[in-house]
Amino acid sequence: MAPRPYNLIAELSYRCPLRCPYCSNPLDWAETRDSLDTDAWCRVMREASALGVLHVGLTGGEPSVRSDLEDIVAAAAGAQLFTHLVTAGLPLDEDRLEALARVGLRSVQLSIQDALPEASDHIAGTTSFERKLAIARKTRALGLPLVVNVVLHRHNLGRVRELIALARELDAERIELANTQYHGWALLNRDALLPSREQLAAASAIVQEEQSRPGLEILWVLPDYFGDRPKPCMGGWGNKNIVVAPDGLVLPCQAARSLPGLEFYDVSSHGLEACWADAPGMNAYRGEDWMPEPCRSCDRRGQDFGGCRCQAFALTGDATRTDPACALSPDHDVIAKLRDGDHSGVPLRHRSATRN
Amino acid sequence: MSPASGVNAPLSPDALSAALRAIGEERYHHRHPFNERMHEGLLSRRALQTWVANRYYYQTRIPIKDGMILTKSPDASFRREWVQRIHDHDGQREGEGGLELWLRLAEAVGLERSEVEAFELVVPGARRACDEYVAFVGGHDLLESVAASLTELFAGFIMHTRIAAFEKHYAWVKPGGLDYFQSRTVQAPKDSKYGLEYVLEHARSREDQQRCLAALRKKCDILWSFLDAVDRATARPVLASHALVRDEPDGSRVVVLSERAVRIGGSGNEILELCDGTRTGMDVAGARVAAHPGEGSVADEVHDFLEEMGKAGALRFEPEAPE
Ligand code: SF4
Ligand code: SF4
Repeated sequence: MAPRPYNLIAELSYRCPLRCPYCSNPLDWAETRDSLDTDAWCRVMREASALGVLHVGLTGGEPSVRSDLEDIVAAAAGAQLFTHLVTAGLPLDEDRLEALARVGLRSVQLSIQDALPEASDHIAGTTSFERKLAIARKTRALGLPLVVNVVLHRHNLGRVRELIALARELDAERIELANTQYHGWALLNRDALLPSREQLAAASAIVQEEQSRPGLEILWVLPDYFGDRPKPCMGGWGNKNIVVAPDGLVLPCQAARSLPGLEFYDVSSHGLEACWADAPGMNAYRGEDWMPEPCRSCDRRGQDFGGCRCQAFALTGDATRTDPACALSPDHDVIAKLRDGDHSGVPLRHRSATRN
Repeated sequence: MSPASGVNAPLSPDALSAALRAIGEERYHHRHPFNERMHEGLLSRRALQTWVANRYYYQTRIPIKDGMILTKSPDASFRREWVQRIHDHDGQREGEGGLELWLRLAEAVGLERSEVEAFELVVPGARRACDEYVAFVGGHDLLESVAASLTELFAGFIMHTRIAAFEKHYAWVKPGGLDYFQSRTVQAPKDSKYGLEYVLEHARSREDQQRCLAALRKKCDILWSFLDAVDRATARPVLASHALVRDEPDGSRVVVLSERAVRIGGSGNEILELCDGTRTGMDVAGARVAAHPGEGSVADEVHDFLEEMGKAGALRFEPEAPE
């Protein structure tokens, strides 16, 4: 029997006015159409709740590019889901945020690219910093909790203290300092984003010091490639989190589309329960039966689930192998080579611009 | 490699002293919202009483930890100096000393001496914070233990603020209640001067200095969490407006928040029902105790629940305004 999903990640659209070079959306994101209409998304919310989901993250791309976001939020709230908006801050505006709160939005996660306005706008590829601050302030004025999310890389790791100060100033409940995970555009830009060991050590010391102060909760997401154990990707494949992509495909994680040979179901032609429980792709790496050595006999397998399948595929060409991020993996030297190379001067490539 | 340069070079005494003071400036409990409200005259009578009663437990731990510090030193002159703190607290005879003065403060704010001495109003989070301090001294060496006591550097100043605030805002406190604070305005600077000189003289390596700074930070955090506990007990808990309470098929309930969900069982449910914005944490505990007479741990269960839910962000605590 499939486990109970607790969290729905509703990728409402891959369109986004920003062009972050580490965007986790697929390189060919523009091929993925927003094929679910309002009714279909509202049905997804009800079916998710019936499956046991408690919480929905409304994300993208940028969810506020959809003009029916209000209807989708209302349907989710009506289905007794906790509604959490994950936004870059535009094209959302204050009035629209207020309207969303009125129909049942409960919290907002806002991405900020850097603590300096110019640097933030540069990474975003769009003038957006001031808009973001306005959305943050409006969120708090509406009494909603605010989470600030920052993707960290070589170009902004030196400013974690300023980022934390900004989050405190904005009265955020929590800041997520998420070192880049190399999927989608981030994988393409990996050499231009990878930080140095010294940078990471300095930033992590600052984070530790700040974490001991009261108030703001600070989450530090360890960087890929620098640890010796992998992350428990998505809390396990098809285990807790259910992703519905803009075209209706139901996935175990946002990047799973990149794996060849897996068949997933589409909510346009199947009920959400079948998409979750029965799709062959969902069951491919569920549980532990698929695991190779060294995971199969490792006592951490229930904690990290053997790491990330998409990373295993990206780095070894075989999604069934132990995540090379693990020091016990026979492929771990791939990571060391990538990490320790000299990448200075590698240019960033922005995500391709939104079609209209 | 030259020994006294680079990031591992020890700080000069002045720089170490400044670093210690900077910790106090940043995280000593004079910045805690509960203390800020106390000093602005915004505490209700009950809140002030609860603070006094809980703080008495802290006062009773101080001579115990000072006794432990004595056992760590082989130096007679150190012990001769340090033992004075125990005398200051316990007095030379019955009816004297800091603990006695604190009990008089308790009476002056309208509490019974016997209930305070029996720790009846002490909430578990406050007790844990005080015990943590004693355990810290138990598990660390003399230098770190002395460094942890350096919150006294900032105590003299807070005592002056407090005396002025009491005289201005809490005129209902009976005369004589402030004698403890008065006595500390003299003792704290004297004690902290000795403690600071000790640390500056003995923390010679960069590593020892770092241990001292960490000890002082830890102590500030302990005082902070003590006030957090008092704050929760004296304020009125209500469900955070964004929290979603959902019934589960198995009859339990979950409180869903932006980053987590907390499952609550039978007693949690009943406690949550009482958190309607009219009762303080102490009131909620009182109501539960009245409904379950004879069950020893009911009040502690309430305070622990409020702490857990508060930390998860599921509850908001509204301070009770003065009468
Ligand atoms: S990472 Fe940047 S470009 Fe990608 S969806 Fe988020 S805000 Fe848009
Ligand atoms: S061998 Fe597999 S299960 Fe063990 S730590 Fe590495 S990835 Fe995790």
